[in-house]
Amino acid sequence: MRKQECVAMLLAGGQGSRLGGLTRIRAKPAVSFCGKYRIIDFTLSNCLNSHINTVGVLIQYKPFLLNSYIGLGSAWDLDNPYGGLHILPPFQGEKEGSWYNGTANAVYQNYEFIDYYDPEYVIILSGDHVYKMDYTRMLKFHKEKNSDVTIATIKVPWEEASRFGILSVDEDARITEFSEKPAHPKNNLASMGVYVFNWSILKQALIVDAGDPQSQNDFGKNIIPQQLKQAKRVYAYEFQGYWRDVGTIESYYQANMESLREGHFLTIFDPKFRIFSNEEILPPHFVGSTAQIENSLVCNGCIVHGKVSNSIIAPGVFVGKNVEIRDSILLPCVKIHDKSLIYKTIVGENAEIMRHCIIGAGKQSTSDQDGITVVEDNHVIDEGSVIKAGKNV
Amino acid sequence: MSNAIGIIYANTATDSLRGLALERPIAAVPFGGRYRVLDFALSSMVNSGIRTIGLVTPHQYRPLLDHLGAGKAWFLDRKDGGLFILPGVFHGLGGNKHTFCIKDLRNNLEYLDKDFAENVVISSGDQIFNINFIGALEFHNKKKADVTLIYKETDNSEGLNDEMFFVMDKDHKVSHVQSSNDLKRTKFVQPFFVNILIIRREILLDIIEKYNFTGCMDLIDILTANLEVLNIYGSPTCSSIGTIRTIKDYFDRSMDLLNLEVRGNLWLGVDKIHTKIKDNPPTRYTSQAKVSNSLIASGCTISGEVVNSIIFREVIIEQGCKIKNSIILPKCHLHTNAQTDYAILDKSVKVNGENILKGSINNPLVVLKKTVI
Repeated sequence: MRKQECVAMLLAGGQGSRLGGLTRIRAKPAVSFCGKYRIIDFTLSNCLNSHINTVGVLIQYKPFLLNSYIGLGSAWDLDNPYGGLHILPPFQGEKEGSWYNGTANAVYQNYEFIDYYDPEYVIILSGDHVYKMDYTRMLKFHKEKNSDVTIATIKVPWEEASRFGILSVDEDARITEFSEKPAHPKNNLASMGVYVFNWSILKQALIVDAGDPQSQNDFGKNIIPQQLKQAKRVYAYEFQGYWRDVGTIESYYQANMESLREGHFLTIFDPKFRIFSNEEILPPHFVGSTAQIENSLVCNGCIVHGKVSNSIIAPGVFVGKNVEIRDSILLPCVKIHDKSLIYKTIVGENAEIMRHCIIGAGKQSTSDQDGITVVEDNHVIDEGSVIKAGKNV
Repeated sequence: MSNAIGIIYANTATDSLRGLALERPIAAVPFGGRYRVLDFALSSMVNSGIRTIGLVTPHQYRPLLDHLGAGKAWFLDRKDGGLFILPGVFHGLGGNKHTFCIKDLRNNLEYLDKDFAENVVISSGDQIFNINFIGALEFHNKKKADVTLIYKETDNSEGLNDEMFFVMDKDHKVSHVQSSNDLKRTKFVQPFFVNILIIRREILLDIIEKYNFTGCMDLIDILTANLEVLNIYGSPTCSSIGTIRTIKDYFDRSMDLLNLEVRGNLWLGVDKIHTKIKDNPPTRYTSQAKVSNSLIASGCTISGEVVNSIIFREVIIEQGCKIKNSIILPKCHLHTNAQTDYAILDKSVKVNGENILKGSINNPLVVLKKTVI
């Protein structure tokens, strides 16, 4: 063991229920994103790029696929002799033991893990945002302001502000007010759910919070408001850069599709700030003589015989002859058999669509969920099925 | 777990790959969109459960070691075993005409001496194949063989000029060997050696000791001279073996990959071919892209036309380009309206706009690494 300046606690235990069929068998951080990535790749790559090499990953909901994907963290160079990546599931104590009840409770239950590394600072991260951030800059800001707690913030569009925790700050960037998902937001500066704490302050706050039966043991709802109430030095670090919330089917779809736009592609895949993933070793993809691919991303191991436009094709996908795929996201190892038509659909991992199907049929503009159709992981759609736009199957 | 260690001769050099092997051994020549030739021998051993592999390196070993690193991509960064670099003999201007030069092993005797494994699988590093050796190792043990030669059968010995053909008895014991010239008269199905063999480690050590002072001998010559003394058996493989000796070989073996059956046998099965991971983003097709019958690796941006071609990682093909029957190695950049036909572009070649590069099917055009046209 070696003392670490900063330990990261990555909250990856939530279900992400608003992603519906995509999180039925796996935790949200393990959901495929932008072809070859999974959502957690971004946060773990941020740690690598920020030289944070002690990371605790808090898991709870359907952890198997997530755990096997993360492994020892070696895909992100987090297999480190002095710190490294640690998977932290809920556990039994001598007399007690319970599930993680809320984000703060999860960190509280693992205070021994953090104490073991005896850090000055703890950075709380969440595994369900897609963003590229150098945490060292935020840490520098935290030190400069001599702050107790620093919250990473980003300006969001006004109409979406009520979905986030909204902050008000004074001219020194000190936070004066914090409201979680306000109905009538006064500001559009949203919390990204990334916090830097002095460990001594956080430890104290967690102990107090754990003793309060009224508390929901949540960072946004309890810990942060408490710190403000106690007039602690809570600052807002304004982040400028790529950040996407992918918590709903609509936002997940939009964030994926954005990567097809040239400017965004360069932001996401900037070679100076690379995103790493635990990729399966697959051969190059094969494009058949009847294929037609335009404005799309295609990954290794795919075999494409049909027409693909405006879509994202993840590793190991098969697209048969006379298939048409438009405005869709095919997740890893999907099979689309001959003569099926797929419009504005997210097809879950290992799903198989037999011949002559139409998925996302009808008017997409007038249906639910922005007209996005979702086929769940491992689902097999029978030959000749017609699935209306906006449905979840 | 198999009781064998591996040795790959990755030091075969050639001057008939027209520049592709100018500054790298054949083993390090990029192949199949994201691999290097060596990956096939190395992955075959790893997939057969061999976790200790010694690599006989050539004089120009930088590209090879750059690719291999600590062997992590092949699961060879291990405490028990792992990847061992065995520096090969420098053969001087004459080059290396040997397949398995004994001197290369003598210089690295410790690698063989300190291990406890019963058998050693020895393979050349210049062939394209995917063979699981578990079957052959079982055969080798069952027959209590000293040496097992892996062979393929053919009734057409044309083009197989350097290969060693042999005759076996009913028990698969090798009785005598023939050169391909002797065969011209016969039309029968004949087994030929594919430069992969299994040998008992103790016997290999004996041979190295015995032939210590006789200059640079080839293990295969020693074995064939001792057919009566040693128990040498043959074990068949049905994998296709793509040997790469000339530029035509390289071009043809590459283009074979566009055939589903070839790809199916080579890399779509359970035994994967492992290679260095680069963490590239997916390949992006713009709205002007027109691609057919091609293999495309990751990290490319394609805005032009690509037909019957193999495109390696991180290649950029701009608008109006026409890439036909070509092999484009990593990081090449083809600017607007460039055209290639029957061309092989080595790594990081830049083709400026409007250029037309044309070879022919029997004589593909090769552009050297980092050339700007």
